[in-house]
Amino acid sequence: MASLNDLKIAFKSLVRALFTLILTVCGFWAVEFALFHTDAYYTILRHDSSTGSVETYVRNELKRTRTNPRQILTIGDSRMGFLPRYANELETGYEFGSIALGGATPRDWYYMLRGADPDANRYSAIVIAMDDYEDVEIEEDQSVRAADLYYLIGRLKYSDIPYFARSYQHDPTLQWAAVRGVVLKGLIYKRDFQDFLLHPTSRIQIANAARRDSHQWYYDYVGPNQSLEGVVVDFDKRAVTVPPGFSEAQKAAYTYRFLAPRPPWRGDRTAYMHKWLGKIYERYRGSKTRVIFLHLPRGPFVRPDQPVFNAHSSVRELAVQPGVILLPEHLFDSIERPGLFIDQMHMNGPGCAEFSRMLGKQVSHTLDAL
Amino acid sequence: MLFNTTEFFVFFAIVLAVFYAAPRAVRRLILLVASYVFYLSWNYKFVVLLFGLTVVDFGAAIAIERAPASRKKLFLLISLAANLGMLGFFKYYNFFADNLAQLLRYPPHSWTYSIILPLGISFHTFQSISYVVDVYRGEQAAIRSPIDYALYISFFPQLVAGPIVRAREFFSDLNRWRHPSQEEVLRGVMLIVLGLTKKMAFADQFAQIADSYFQNLSVHPGGWAAWSGVIAFAMQIFFDFSGYTDMAIGMALLLGFHFPVNFRRPYLAFSITDFWHRWHMSLSRWLRDYLYIPLGGNRHGRLMTYRNLMLTMLLGGLWHGASWNFVIWGGYHGGLLSIERMMGRREFEKKPPIWLYPVRALITFALVCVGWVFFRAATFADSRYVLSQLVHGGKQMQALLPRWLVYMTLVSLAIAAIEEKFEWTERLSRGPAWAYATFMIVLLLTIEMIGVTEKALPFVYFQF
Repeated sequence: MASLNDLKIAFKSLVRALFTLILTVCGFWAVEFALFHTDAYYTILRHDSSTGSVETYVRNELKRTRTNPRQILTIGDSRMGFLPRYANELETGYEFGSIALGGATPRDWYYMLRGADPDANRYSAIVIAMDDYEDVEIEEDQSVRAADLYYLIGRLKYSDIPYFARSYQHDPTLQWAAVRGVVLKGLIYKRDFQDFLLHPTSRIQIANAARRDSHQWYYDYVGPNQSLEGVVVDFDKRAVTVPPGFSEAQKAAYTYRFLAPRPPWRGDRTAYMHKWLGKIYERYRGSKTRVIFLHLPRGPFVRPDQPVFNAHSSVRELAVQPGVILLPEHLFDSIERPGLFIDQMHMNGPGCAEFSRMLGKQVSHTLDAL
Repeated sequence: MLFNTTEFFVFFAIVLAVFYAAPRAVRRLILLVASYVFYLSWNYKFVVLLFGLTVVDFGAAIAIERAPASRKKLFLLISLAANLGMLGFFKYYNFFADNLAQLLRYPPHSWTYSIILPLGISFHTFQSISYVVDVYRGEQAAIRSPIDYALYISFFPQLVAGPIVRAREFFSDLNRWRHPSQEEVLRGVMLIVLGLTKKMAFADQFAQIADSYFQNLSVHPGGWAAWSGVIAFAMQIFFDFSGYTDMAIGMALLLGFHFPVNFRRPYLAFSITDFWHRWHMSLSRWLRDYLYIPLGGNRHGRLMTYRNLMLTMLLGGLWHGASWNFVIWGGYHGGLLSIERMMGRREFEKKPPIWLYPVRALITFALVCVGWVFFRAATFADSRYVLSQLVHGGKQMQALLPRWLVYMTLVSLAIAAIEEKFEWTERLSRGPAWAYATFMIVLLLTIEMIGVTEKALPFVYFQF
């Protein structure tokens, strides 16, 4: 059995090699940590990329000047047309902020909220925008949404690895990608870095400007004025008519949104929403912060085949918990008009303004009434 | 199991652990089993072919050694027939059948079959041939251990794309095996990481540009686009192949084997002669020893030398692939080598003065790039089109190389030039730990930030 002796000889002769290799690994980890687990990379991050948007919104919210101790933060995806300026102009006694972001999902919302409210005590209420209260299935299975890793990479810490990776429970490849991505964040930032290499000087200038001024850019945003006036959806004849100036692609998008059959019930959506809305609730359970859910305007046209009432949906089950409030489901029905939408899903400027004022008033009244 | 995948590194880690934990007596067997497992992971059917050729050549070498002088040649011919027959059938049958059909005015593909090229056949047959020829020449004793011989042919670090290792080098390491020294371990690890960097951060990035150009020639008209595409391919193939070789040499070092250097900064060559002293050196050496010199080399006058150069390079071109483009590529290099011989051999082997070096290197690089057009283009017609674009493609400024890749090219060129003078990386494993660690950290960050990690792209030379 020469092997043990061999191993001893090999080990002795390899001590320096091992030391050097360990030094290499530690050095690499230290550089990686310094670049991607601190604020260093944010100084050149593209502010409108998926990662950059999350970081910009969360960091803007963190540094927002607060003139009122009664703060309300809203969150959602691109359909959440809440512009805080309109609500703040009402002077309701509350000050509103928003980190709603296009493409952000409930998984993203949790980590964004954690970033914007690290101690879970900054807000009187968190307002969460929902497409519906019934957990209606959508085509995408968001539990295996790879893009979330890109949205959240700036928010994730080593300690998040087990839970975050496990949340991709149906896809071992994505679980591994999540582990690898959080450990080696450069793998996720690399697209942004390669883009940076294309125009480094202008990128640095834009990143500086965004860090300095983007809060004001977003706060002053009023939304577009175009609308769907003239578009007609005939649910009986199952036909969409568009006036001149609309493209075939737009017509096809409207047709799909309003006339295509809904995806069949799979239960995926309920499980996913329970997981992440539940996690958000857990974060605020027992705190002074109320968790408020609102039902977004359904669109410029309302399909006749509305989802059936689901008593076991995520928000309905959460609504019985203390500190959770469900705003009336049909609160914003008055906004569901073609003139207040820019496309089949999103409100236009006037729509956003009206929605923001209505939401500001309703949330203030609701909180005052408690 | 590509070298640039997690699966391979898990496999290699297991092999290393088992190899060093096992008694010395069974280590060769462990490497042999690992090599066959590695080959099986590609295509289990071709293991039979690899094994069959191993048996034939193992037996032929012993027979050559034992046979009387008059019968030695017979066994040599049997071995050559087996190796070249298999190589010819798998690699060239369809090519020749197609050309014959065209010549005899039969419809295309009249006699062709759907043949899959066994992985690494071009490399392991060349190793087999060199071994049997060396035994025939009396330069190498026939190996009596079937395990040793099978390991020589199938050793996984170099099985699929070289470097082509001579039997006496391999068996010298095998029979006098010793633990890798500290320097060798550090150098081995560094070469693996360097090879990965070359492959993932450079070759795979340049591949995207080269592929987008050569796969859609009509979409990218103009001289700038052509030069971008061709230079991108020149960079891709160098970083791809030398990256693979670095990894192979590094892995072998960690297992206690010493492979020959295969690349020595070829794009700094100051002549085509110099280029072939720096590019795929183990193939150049093989072609010289087993083709060029047996053909007569430069011993029978100038004309015969040119003929031998041309023949060697034509066959070297054909070795790369069964297509007229590879033959033309070989012929092009053979022609350039012959021209340099005509103009005076010493002139092209001797390093030029420092002021002339950059000009000569640039001309050589341009000539090599022209050759790569034949190597990369799908058809002869495509090659002609690209060449015409290179020469008079107009001034359309549609350069495909993004600026940062141009910077990467320039940085790597500067590193190569410094390395040519000081050979820092050669000495890095003997230097201070901080210098080694710094270099490795830069490599690892380069892989992380620049490397194509979304999918593992195969190595170019795996197809040969």
